[in-house]
Amino acid sequence: MAIVGSRRPSPYGEAVAEQLGADLAKAGVVVISGLALGIDAAAHRGALVGGGVTIAVMGTGVDVVYPAGHSSLAEEIIAAGGALVSQFPDGTTPRRHNFPARNWTMAALSDLVVVVEAAEGSGALITAEAALHLHKEVLAVPGSVFSPLSVGTHGLIRDGAGLVQNARDVLAALGATQEVLDDPLAPPRSLGFAPPRGRDGILAHLSDVLALSAAEIARKLQLPVAEVLGRLTSLELDGAVRRHHDGYVRALRSGQKRA
Amino acid sequence: MLAAVDSCTLAGLDVRHVEVQADIAHGDTKFLLVGLAATAVKEARERVRSAIKNSGLQFPGQRLTVNLAPAELRKEGSRLDLPIAVAIALARAGKRPPPHTAFLGELALDGAVRHVDGVLVAALGLRKLGYERVFVPAANAAEAALVDGLVVTACGSLKAVVDHLVGVESIEPYVATGPGPELGVEPPEHDLAEVHGQEEGRRALEIAAAGGHHLLLSGPPGAGKTMLARCLPGILPPLELEEALEVAQVRSLLGELRGHSPLGWARPFRAPHHGVSAAGLIGGGSGLAQPGEISRSHHGVLFLDELAEFQAPVLQALRQPLETGRVSITRSGGSVSYPARFTLVAATNPCPCGWAGDPVRSCRCSPGAIDSYQRRLSGPLLDRIDLKVGVRRIKLETLASEPTGEGSAPVRERVVAARATQLARQGCLNAQLKPARLRQLAALEPASRRTLERWAEQRGLTARGFHRAWRVARTSADLDRAAQIAERHILEALGYRLQDVAA
Repeated sequence: MAIVGSRRPSPYGEAVAEQLGADLAKAGVVVISGLALGIDAAAHRGALVGGGVTIAVMGTGVDVVYPAGHSSLAEEIIAAGGALVSQFPDGTTPRRHNFPARNWTMAALSDLVVVVEAAEGSGALITAEAALHLHKEVLAVPGSVFSPLSVGTHGLIRDGAGLVQNARDVLAALGATQEVLDDPLAPPRSLGFAPPRGRDGILAHLSDVLALSAAEIARKLQLPVAEVLGRLTSLELDGAVRRHHDGYVRALRSGQKRA
Repeated sequence: MLAAVDSCTLAGLDVRHVEVQADIAHGDTKFLLVGLAATAVKEARERVRSAIKNSGLQFPGQRLTVNLAPAELRKEGSRLDLPIAVAIALARAGKRPPPHTAFLGELALDGAVRHVDGVLVAALGLRKLGYERVFVPAANAAEAALVDGLVVTACGSLKAVVDHLVGVESIEPYVATGPGPELGVEPPEHDLAEVHGQEEGRRALEIAAAGGHHLLLSGPPGAGKTMLARCLPGILPPLELEEALEVAQVRSLLGELRGHSPLGWARPFRAPHHGVSAAGLIGGGSGLAQPGEISRSHHGVLFLDELAEFQAPVLQALRQPLETGRVSITRSGGSVSYPARFTLVAATNPCPCGWAGDPVRSCRCSPGAIDSYQRRLSGPLLDRIDLKVGVRRIKLETLASEPTGEGSAPVRERVVAARATQLARQGCLNAQLKPARLRQLAALEPASRRTLERWAEQRGLTARGFHRAWRVARTSADLDRAAQIAERHILEALGYRLQDVAA
């Protein structure tokens, strides 16, 4: 199955893609995505964290990693037994018009496409459209109604795409047997993460979806911003929180290192 | 008949002694001016000739030679008009000038003495060279009078100067008449009390003010970055006398010191537009370089709004002065060095459209565009900025209510106290501490050191970044009135940086 979405997702979208990638990889599903920034990278990374196989369908020649910053991710994908595939000859540089074609290929290779965050006009919607043409199932992850990144996904749901809340929804759509459903996955849980435990009360005030600035947290807790900033930095050092744009979110997994 | 009068020429803030010798000898009527004079000085011949005639003095009808010694030193500007004319007049009268006396000034054709640039710089230099008395244009008298131990004679016209020197009618030494320089605390133009929210930005501003650290504010349009930056002068202490003199010297070179109280106590705040050229920002011009915006911001604040819109070479040129607090510029006329110890406050949008990372409005830039936008800022320049803070838009409904934050006055009190602590401990602000002194004066406890090292390793901090975080922690501790840097100070210092959007 393919996971596609915005190249500049919210922390929420990134977390969802990573979690889906990981859980589906654990369940033995091959996760296909496009090696792009944002949702694509999160899906690949999640699949790698889940110890699974993931395939990157590239819009460039297989020898041209784009964006260049993803060369280590590409190496990890191969090292984990995955593949980089491309319909374009070696040496093809990134060209705007090649990417829609790549999106069709991605849809063709997959049995099912999950869209995680897509603004209006996003390339991920091309993949979804291709999937419908190719009679593949399309699912979408809902988001905040306030977020422009939800417009595309909510549109898909309105048009009849299945709604994804967790990996089980995807597995069910794939027609996985009950055994597979129950075995590798933990008891059903919502797409949230383990409640924060331990060291710092600040964690309880952080969301894993919406980035909060140090100032906002300080206001909530009635603490000096200097102190809050320091404590957040300490949590970040331990991998318990992450900085996203200009705010902080709770990290998906403790101690996880970001690429 | 021979007479010699002392004057000087300027190369940046360097003052070089020039002796103006005039010799009247038998021969054809002729006026020779020798001694490596640049254009403005060569033209002095015509001004001096007319000025002398129109002052009712007699111009020698013989062979007149004026030599500007030392001959190998290039002389610029119109400051030598007055000394040339005085040398000629004294040579004719067979008199000598008073001892330890120097002359500066431009002449109008009617004999009036006109304002020249750089008199404060010249006067300070002449005092160091051992001069005790200067004759300067009346319009420059106030600035020359700032120099301790120098008797200033304000010259209105050439006639008055010559009359004074030959003993016809003396001019009283100039006494500063205007309102004396007072250490007044004027209410700041922009007060922090008017800033809504922005706790992180306020705190960073306070640290920047207290330790002299450079600051980058990043956020969407209208988030209040400019407002915050403009509040910085209001939380800085007034200039010290020494600093005020340095600031005034730069302004003197630019001819900006006028009036009776040339010394200002407010710290400079300069906000050049992003179209500024490298020469405009760091200094330049033909011949000898003039001071640029960074030198005008000496001991004050240089605010660069829309940092990413500045041309790359202009930003690159900032690197040396940011490190050393001085800038050396070489032009055809020679090399000059100007002070440029400023606090840099830069503001930028996170991406070309400005909305990347905004919780409500979505950004319309392609990742490639954001990448290249940020690359323009990244690397060496960002590495030299100690505090990087994201500024978020605040909700409109908050804007309608009364702001609840602290005003500038209490913040300024803390800043003044923290700066006093630093100056007493090390004689400079924390931002200027060399690594060796940092280790000695701002020792870290094992736990703090481990935290800093762990972070450096995890994030690939450069050695420079490592020391910068350390310095910021020292300032945070100083604001806390703590003698020892605690782990929380290190953690706070590490918190002031931005995540690259295209991570």
